[in-house]
Amino acid sequence: MLPLSLLKTAQSHPMLVELKNGETYNGHLVSCDSWMNINLRDVICTSKDGDRFWRMPECFIRGSTIKYLRIPDEVIDMVKEDAQAKSRNRAEMNKNRGGNSSQNQNQRAPRSGNRNSFGIRSGPSGGGLGNGGMRAGNSGQGNRPPMQGNKLRK
Amino acid sequence: MSGLESYINHTVSIITADGRNFIGTLKGFDQTINIIIDECHERVFSTTSGIEQIVLGLHIIRGDNIAVIGLIDDTVDSRLDLANIRGEPLGPVVH
Repeated sequence: MLPLSLLKTAQSHPMLVELKNGETYNGHLVSCDSWMNINLRDVICTSKDGDRFWRMPECFIRGSTIKYLRIPDEVIDMVKEDAQAKSRNRAEMNKNRGGNSSQNQNQRAPRSGNRNSFGIRSGPSGGGLGNGGMRAGNSGQGNRPPMQGNKLRK
Repeated sequence: MSGLESYINHTVSIITADGRNFIGTLKGFDQTINIIIDECHERVFSTTSGIEQIVLGLHIIRGDNIAVIGLIDDTVDSRLDLANIRGEPLGPVVH
């Protein structure tokens, strides 16, 4: 289970956040992001020594300033339903990807053929050397579409 | 794979950068070593009285703040007589 998916599940729950400077913030989690930045509602801030308090209707806390978050125990049981199902699906997708290796090889063969033909088409547009080679190729091989030759000279 | 994978669902001891010691069950972690600790206790060491255990519950500890994660042998740990162990509290990490 990922810490940030637990945090996401804890949205709308009360929590205690201790910052690196020792201040603590008690409030309800409104939102969080992948940097652990969080929005709290109905917040009580407590000073490091614990003897001064501030009430505020909401606040934003930058993730990098957080030391830890204390979350209601029941939240961990709620993660299992959504986030863990997702990670299980992802694991199974990876399994399928690895499992059909023979099929993958079959798929790869035509793709490499495409890459070659693409290489011929796109290669000359690269550098002067490629252009030179292409011009020689054009004069030598009658089967090249004239359109492409024109494109290249421009 | 991170070596932490094998600690999942085991009891671990976390020493944080501010010198605190958290004990609990490791439920998850990510690439920055943010961790989920379930049934978290803090053990407060003192030279004048035994180790005080404070029950904290479910915690997410940010990776920045973690110094050491150690695996705890539950059978050895349960034999400890915390009330009669004295020790100096750790100081914070100095940079």
